[in-house]
Amino acid sequence: MRIVFSIAIMGFLLLGNKPTEKPMDHPPEYFVLEWKEGTQLTPERTDFFIEVDSMGKQDVLALVNERKVPVLYTAEIATPVCADGECKLMNIKFYWTLLGEYAGFDRYPMMPLTKHDHDEFGEADYQKLHKLLADDKNLMGRRSIDQLVEKPKMRTVNGVDAVSGATIARVKESVVSGALYSCYTAWHLVHGDIQEQLKAHSLSILDKQMTLDMLYSINPGYQIFAMENMDASDYKKHYEQLAKVFRTSTPLVRSIIAKRLTTKYKDAPVLQEPFWNAFDLIDTSSRSLMMKYLDEAPDYVPEVLSDKLGVMSKNQLKGFLTHLSNSEGLNAETHNNILEFSKSENQTYAFLAQVFLEDFK
Amino acid sequence: MKLSKIFVATFVFVLTSSLHGQDVLIEAESFDNPGGWTVDPQFEQQMGSPYLLAHGIGEPVKNATTKVKFESNGEYHVWVRTKNWVPGNWEAPGRFQLKVDGNTLDKMLGLRSGWGWEYVDKISVTDHQIDVALVDVTGFDGRCDAIYFSTKNEEPPSSSKKLTEWRKRVKSEPNAPPVTKSYDLVVVGGGLAGCAASIAAAEQGLKVALIHDRPVLGGNASEEIRVHTLGIYGNFERILKKIDTEHYPNGSAEAKLDQKKRDDNVKSYENIDLFLNHRAYDAKAEDSSIQYVDARHTSTGQRIRFMAPRFVDSTGDGWIGYWAGAEFNYGRESAETYGEVWEEHGELWTPTEPDDAVMGSSVLWGSKETDTEHTFPEVPWAMPVAKEYARVAGEWQWEFSSPDHNQIDDAEDIRDHMLRAIYGSFANAKKDSTNANRKLEWVSSLVGKRESRRLVGDHIFTFNDAKEGRKFPDGVVIEIRDVDIHYQTVLEDEKNPDFISEALFYKTPEYYIPYRSLYSKNISNLFMAGRNFSCSHAGLGGPRVMRTTGQMGAAVGFAAALCKKYDVNPREIYTGYLDEYLDLIEKQKFENIPESKK
Repeated sequence: MRIVFSIAIMGFLLLGNKPTEKPMDHPPEYFVLEWKEGTQLTPERTDFFIEVDSMGKQDVLALVNERKVPVLYTAEIATPVCADGECKLMNIKFYWTLLGEYAGFDRYPMMPLTKHDHDEFGEADYQKLHKLLADDKNLMGRRSIDQLVEKPKMRTVNGVDAVSGATIARVKESVVSGALYSCYTAWHLVHGDIQEQLKAHSLSILDKQMTLDMLYSINPGYQIFAMENMDASDYKKHYEQLAKVFRTSTPLVRSIIAKRLTTKYKDAPVLQEPFWNAFDLIDTSSRSLMMKYLDEAPDYVPEVLSDKLGVMSKNQLKGFLTHLSNSEGLNAETHNNILEFSKSENQTYAFLAQVFLEDFK
Repeated sequence: MKLSKIFVATFVFVLTSSLHGQDVLIEAESFDNPGGWTVDPQFEQQMGSPYLLAHGIGEPVKNATTKVKFESNGEYHVWVRTKNWVPGNWEAPGRFQLKVDGNTLDKMLGLRSGWGWEYVDKISVTDHQIDVALVDVTGFDGRCDAIYFSTKNEEPPSSSKKLTEWRKRVKSEPNAPPVTKSYDLVVVGGGLAGCAASIAAAEQGLKVALIHDRPVLGGNASEEIRVHTLGIYGNFERILKKIDTEHYPNGSAEAKLDQKKRDDNVKSYENIDLFLNHRAYDAKAEDSSIQYVDARHTSTGQRIRFMAPRFVDSTGDGWIGYWAGAEFNYGRESAETYGEVWEEHGELWTPTEPDDAVMGSSVLWGSKETDTEHTFPEVPWAMPVAKEYARVAGEWQWEFSSPDHNQIDDAEDIRDHMLRAIYGSFANAKKDSTNANRKLEWVSSLVGKRESRRLVGDHIFTFNDAKEGRKFPDGVVIEIRDVDIHYQTVLEDEKNPDFISEALFYKTPEYYIPYRSLYSKNISNLFMAGRNFSCSHAGLGGPRVMRTTGQMGAAVGFAAALCKKYDVNPREIYTGYLDEYLDLIEKQKFENIPESKK
């Protein structure tokens, strides 16, 4: 009976959610990207839709900028969430990036998300949902809902038989407590087939400006995509932005840049400088990757690094000193920096520098 | 056993004193009684020797004791080879002291950065013999490699190259081991692959030596590491059921039950000579054919040379192949190399440019609820790794790999990094009052590796072989398990702990590994089985689990039998005897009906 009632009101609510044509001038409430001030995005119809059980097709719109180029995709979703024979309606507006990745969501203040016990989501719950949806590798992508719940044990609670099992430990931390089914439904809507369709559409209209916009975004997925689609001259022209990405992005993005540093800027050593200067500002794994290219690095690099010995791991310091041992000559500044380091009582690996200087004599 | 250790200590002393007058070197692993200290031979190739480890998970372990004999009485300078495993601005976590004839010497040990000698004191020997004990102070993994007594005040060398020479000289150790043994097949590494290879070959009548550097069999599946076995049985169910595990949670003490089953089953084969606690340290090839493998007992130091027409490298790290000059790979191939692209995960799956990244090593651990309150010491030296992370147990996701660490050369640092992660995370969890009664129960001291050297065979098994379910005429290993490749979650978010990984799963059809991936391309008499088989980084993602590596072992064991029958090398089984080989595999699936019952 409850199911019949729920589905009856779903149609009404869906009509109430009809996409608006008004330009969007503010970011989604929960958003993974940067929203530049003054941005205005206009909804534009696409051929894409998401089919929702018992609710039919729900349109996906492109949000286009002043060049009429898509910046985001969005869909207003009304979907039933059913658990233990009871269905409720979930209303939410999702956003996707140009590459089909999750970008964010808006909630409807008048139609808050609710948990299994009918409690409304609080702010922390929405934040948790946002984090979950941004996790494209979450275990729920590979499991059916039944596999996320420990085998239910028939038990009597206050005289009523209850069959719901507990959420398995590996998923429990990432889902909103008491809202596994809503989280599961939302995750699969966001990460469904629509992702590939949207990405394919973006690629079909991709131009240089879109690629560069991605390079200048804060989204690691965009940054990697841009680097894969930039030519050699773009690397040089936009080296300052690449250096900024190198300083501020994830270790994964840094690893790609580090591996390209000595090839993309082979004939322009001066352009490598901001990257080597950032050596002490980045994570230790990225430093290790940079060290693997020391032999191909410009001549000024040993001096730059000799001023940053304190951040080096044991292996990095060993590698650096071995590189110097195999090099011809050692300039005075570099030598002095190593000498100072070797005298430091606070440096755990100062002894390696002492041994190096001893052999160097 | 005790007598033999005393003999060895005396033996070392006699040879040493005959050449150097008054010098005595005591290897810690050869102590008469290690007490609560454990022999750790994992890093011998990197730091020079097995050593004693005070792995008390926070509670000081019982003293290790031994008697040391001297030819001459007199004054002796004493050095201990040790290291501070977490140098930094805190008290060293692995501190210990030396006790001589019941008197604890003042000098605190385990303080120097990097393996080397710490001067202890000058002692008087008045009765040609002293009692020596290692006294653990912290319970947090102090380590002692050796103790050196000398009438001269000259510190022994610390650099690894000079130390090796010095050790040989001090011990007057000849190059060749004093004992040589010959077999039909020598299997090095007693993980699932090595056990299965030994059983298969032994069942076909071969005389087999199985060399393993631990006291129990099973490698990552053993009770010492406690990873459950995954994958299917393929053609070798009967054999693999003798050595695999139930699907208990990783780290579970239930591993002990399967340990007994495995050890008993392997020991039941009369023609398998089992050399537990023996670690191979060299292999010599001539004309691209291995002549022998040398191994050393991890406690007594006694050495044996193993000769055979054919060898199996199931060491995991591909040591036999490495020493013999076999081609090998390490790290990730570029996506272009074998076309192993999975666009969804891009760089995390296969990189555009090749690199040295590999899947990491795990150290499993657990704690238990008790009826009484338990405290856990402050561990400031662990916090730079653990940070705010708080947990009471660790599963497979506790894994460490980084561009700063080679899984072989830096294995000790990797193990130690994981220990800091574990102790620090548990200390954080203990701050929560709900964990007041929780006690650290078990922390492995062994590195459970997933990937290191991959020896190159006639075929390199790739992700695409699995993805497309490619059929091979010599497809002897069968698997249906997803290909899963791990990556460190810190790659995507610097706020994540650097010791936690995630897995990317690719659903495959049934796939097959050809026999040609199980013998070396350039060392003519070398088989390989286990994670060091011939594959790409992405190719290893599926078949690295232990029932699959067990299948590899069984497959090479049967191939070795045919090699003996026709006096040929592994490759010739593929080129000349493939039908007979496949028939042999088919026939062994079931127990033979005894003649009397036919």
